[in-house]
Amino acid sequence: MGLPIPHSKLGMWLFLATEIMFFSAFIGAYIVLRAGSPGWPDDPEITHLRVWAGGLNTFVLILSSYFVVLALEGMKVENFAKARRYLCLTLLLACVFLGIKSYEYAGKFQYDILPGHIPETPRMAIDKSMREMKQVVDQRAITLSAAKLPEKTEPVNPEDTVEVAGVTDEKTEEVETPVEELRQQLQAELAAEDTPAARKKELQTYFDLGDKYRKLNDRALEESISMQEMNKELETLKQDPQYASLMAPVHFLQPIIYGNLFASVYFLLTGFHALHVVIGMLLFIIVLIQGRRLSKKWKDYVENIGLYWHFVDLVWIFLFPLIYII
Amino acid sequence: MSDQHDHAYVKYSSIFYALCICTGLSIVFDVIDLKKQNIIGMNGVVLLAVLVLAVACAKALFVLIYFMHLKFEGRWKYVLLSPTIVLAMGLTIAITPDIGIHYYTNEAPQIDYLEQARETAAKTDALNPEKSHVE
Repeated sequence: MGLPIPHSKLGMWLFLATEIMFFSAFIGAYIVLRAGSPGWPDDPEITHLRVWAGGLNTFVLILSSYFVVLALEGMKVENFAKARRYLCLTLLLACVFLGIKSYEYAGKFQYDILPGHIPETPRMAIDKSMREMKQVVDQRAITLSAAKLPEKTEPVNPEDTVEVAGVTDEKTEEVETPVEELRQQLQAELAAEDTPAARKKELQTYFDLGDKYRKLNDRALEESISMQEMNKELETLKQDPQYASLMAPVHFLQPIIYGNLFASVYFLLTGFHALHVVIGMLLFIIVLIQGRRLSKKWKDYVENIGLYWHFVDLVWIFLFPLIYII
Repeated sequence: MSDQHDHAYVKYSSIFYALCICTGLSIVFDVIDLKKQNIIGMNGVVLLAVLVLAVACAKALFVLIYFMHLKFEGRWKYVLLSPTIVLAMGLTIAITPDIGIHYYTNEAPQIDYLEQARETAAKTDALNPEKSHVE
């Protein structure tokens, strides 16, 4: 004698058992890492985690879970119109959930709260801003000369880029030469008499910005500038209408202790959860495209995807307090 | 079975309301900002963690028992779920002593900066580098 449940349901429960271990490995790792990292970022002003967004998403998932239960009730009493209606609403709520999630992700990208992008000390923050500013200046040279360049290699580590100002290092010299050549061409163009005035103005702006970068970079290398001073200097440049559009990619300096670990964990946990939401949506769509053909034989299927969806809700129930509140 | 459906319908909605109230409760715990306070001699963060995780567990149980119908299932549910739950908790407990609790002091630039920041914050309340960010 087997178990008194359909095979598919047993399969779903076994799958959910593996899912429990999958998520608890990540959640457990997060709890332990956090306990072992003094000064973990928990200020919403720094992490840009919005409790209202997380809370709203919790509500959305709970409501969708409730609708799934009602859909299953509809299937049981063979009221297929009701089942379809509630499954539709669930699908809609899943879209709302992903919408709020992508709004939050967009905020993370805007403030560059991404794994491997976050400076954790003031020194690292200054290095990062100089790297960003160098990219702005180089990019401007490329745009101005509208010339194709060989693929730029990523700087191996922040120190390399800060040292570029001196251009004595063999490794960096090799990479930087093309931009340097462009710079000389642009210099020649600026000096030439037949260059139009508008073009000259553009070129002058580029060279002024380049000079400002080099001055700031020298001070950064001498370590004679503090993070607050650097922020003030960059802010002045951003306020200047000449440079405002160019300086947009340079971020405000904001060291976050353990920020990279935080960002990795945040994107790993919420990313895997969002992936589960997307898969759940596909499962709902499979029922909904049946339209009027929806019949009694789909009852087990709806029950199983319902179990899956409740599990997705369950994971979020734990992620919300762990990530947003504590 | 079918005569129970109307009854079940009412029950599901009350579970839904209970879940909403629990979510509201978590947000209230966040809003009253227990972290900075020191109630009944307990570290605020620990107290907050205990409270919100207790609420989360209550919510999880509501979902498991009623929405996922575990209340109405046979004993197979214990056989199937207890090993995974033991393993899941076991993993966390196993990695805690090494990563979560150090007997040694971590050597990392972040830690040095944290100590510097705490010292400056202790000396002058003004201009804590972490709080200087304006949106």
